[in-house]
Amino acid sequence: MEPKGNGKQNGAAAPAAAGPSLSLRDVVKTYQMGAERVHALNGVSLEVGRNEYVAIMGPSGSGKSTLMNIIGCLDVPTSGTYALQGQAVAAMTESQLAEIRNRRIGFVFQTFNLLPRADILHNVELPMIYGGVARAERRARAAAALERVGLADRMKHRPNELSGGQRQRVAIARALVHDPSIILADEPTGNLDTKTGDDIMAMLDGLHAAGQTIILVTHEEYIAEHAKRTIRLRDGLIESDLSSGARAGSRRPMTAAEPEAPVHPEPAIAAREAAL
Amino acid sequence: MKSTLNVKESLHIALGALRANKARGALTTLGIIIGIVAVITTMTAANGLQNRFRESFSAVGTDVIYVSRMPWVVMDDFFRFRNRPNLSLKEARALEERLRGRAIVNPTMDGRNNVKYRAETMEDVSIIGTTEKQSRLSAAVPETGRFLMPNDVQYKKNVCVLGSDVKDGLFGTVDPLNKYVSIGRTVFRVIGVMEKQGGAFMGGPNFDRQIFVPITSYVKSFGGGHGEQDVNMAVKAPSQEAMADLEYEVIGEMRTIRQLRPAEPENFSINKLDTLVTTFNNTMGVVLLVGLLVTSISLFVGAVGVMNIMFVSVTERTREIGIRKAIGATRASILFQFLFESSTICLLGGTIGIVLSAIITAIINATLMPASLSIPILIIAVVVSIATGVVAGIVPAFRGARLDPIESLRYE
Repeated sequence: MEPKGNGKQNGAAAPAAAGPSLSLRDVVKTYQMGAERVHALNGVSLEVGRNEYVAIMGPSGSGKSTLMNIIGCLDVPTSGTYALQGQAVAAMTESQLAEIRNRRIGFVFQTFNLLPRADILHNVELPMIYGGVARAERRARAAAALERVGLADRMKHRPNELSGGQRQRVAIARALVHDPSIILADEPTGNLDTKTGDDIMAMLDGLHAAGQTIILVTHEEYIAEHAKRTIRLRDGLIESDLSSGARAGSRRPMTAAEPEAPVHPEPAIAAREAAL
Repeated sequence: MKSTLNVKESLHIALGALRANKARGALTTLGIIIGIVAVITTMTAANGLQNRFRESFSAVGTDVIYVSRMPWVVMDDFFRFRNRPNLSLKEARALEERLRGRAIVNPTMDGRNNVKYRAETMEDVSIIGTTEKQSRLSAAVPETGRFLMPNDVQYKKNVCVLGSDVKDGLFGTVDPLNKYVSIGRTVFRVIGVMEKQGGAFMGGPNFDRQIFVPITSYVKSFGGGHGEQDVNMAVKAPSQEAMADLEYEVIGEMRTIRQLRPAEPENFSINKLDTLVTTFNNTMGVVLLVGLLVTSISLFVGAVGVMNIMFVSVTERTREIGIRKAIGATRASILFQFLFESSTICLLGGTIGIVLSAIITAIINATLMPASLSIPILIIAVVVSIATGVVAGIVPAFRGARLDPIESLRYE
């Protein structure tokens, strides 16, 4: 499945000028867990440029979910700064963050996170509903996005009538439809079998080729290899930050740990919860 | 911001939620339906009582001032009034003379007596001594025969006009005209029967259970010598607008007739239907207030049901809230979404409640009293339902709006 056309539609999103798409400086995040203070991030500095394809990796508890939440503006750092396209996020109010999430971030989740009672066209329309896009334009753009992910014939179906791969494609269409600055994919293949996972990754690769900035959170080595840059976290710090040129290795090592059948959501979610 | 108040999306969500949980939605709505029906029915019933009251006094003109010894409604010290002198026929004639050309004055006297026609007896019938002017003071007209004429009064004729209940009670289907009835110990010839006026109401006078006789014959037959005459005077204004002026004139003329000094208080009372209506309305107001308080409790219980369901709804849809927040829903839009949902439930309940109330009102109207759903009541019902929805939804909606998106996204 090759995405057609330009990755960036001419939309409302501010054209990213020169300079990083996002930059984090000394980001610290601590949680109060009962009497204990948990340091999820211990001072992370990071820059991601336009049209980069970054994988964030790390074991459970390394802080990669926290980092993703901060990059996705679902959470704000305890200290340090985070600028998205030059805009400081740390000091923003709830509703400003909501608008940033709406305009600048496209989420792709491991568990798809589609609204079960709405058809997929409506699911894809949703970001534009909150963005205040007029109905006719909304419809057209949602339909175009679904066509782009190859689901033009399923628009009136509900998520539970689709396969996992199809649902993730709907999620990608939803992430794309509002022309985000960044697509944030959190274990996008975690609930899919290998074959379907590959399809989804191919789709993300295509989006990157078309100019989209993508940040991928994963713990699968072979998934991370799709990215051009891999950031490894350990104990809330960046352990390594390597571009693919510096990294050797095969495209997809088959390991015993790699599941052939579709992974059930439960263990994966438990893993994510443990990560916090 | 446009995204905050997306009505269509919110309606879509609200109806979707109702459709997804039909039984739950129906039960919740039922609580509101019952509450709204109770409140509306209370209001229409109070309204109906008021209509019924007005109707039952329609025989009494609103452009008429009554001069009597006592006020109709004794609000304060009864003993202040009890030593007042009666109004006499002479005083009535004097007032009539003084107001000639400005108003019609009709003196009446009344008492209660047993009435007999052959074997039939009616006890305790209201006997009213009046004049031919009675017919100019009220809307009541004879159904058969005629009303009193000047001659009847002038020559103290023993003739009478029966109220419709009296006619039914004594004569049944027999034609009463020119038959003789005994009122007390005097025999009167029936010259007419009045149209039916409508039933007695809450202790009010029954205008169908009375007999009109010439006031002169009344004095002759039932005593009322000079010392014990207790005359009431009805003074009809030429128009509704002239009422206020006429009232002052009547007071002035009566004071002159009674030779009261300027500082002396009046020893007679001016009564108007308005006074009675005002008193009644005040009483009704209290009854309505109490009724609304009681019925509001059922609406409150309904609202608690809605609030409960909204809490459940917010909890059930924690993940949905997380998804919506992740893709850009603000707190305000989540808040609005849930408020809209609770208001939709309540408005739905309110609408069904209004329809049911319309049916109940129609039944009340057909059986008990003239009642109708008025536009203000409908507006109140709609406003109250929406307000109930907002009040019941506000706390759950806030809870939903404040949910942390990260936690919510992980919620199973």
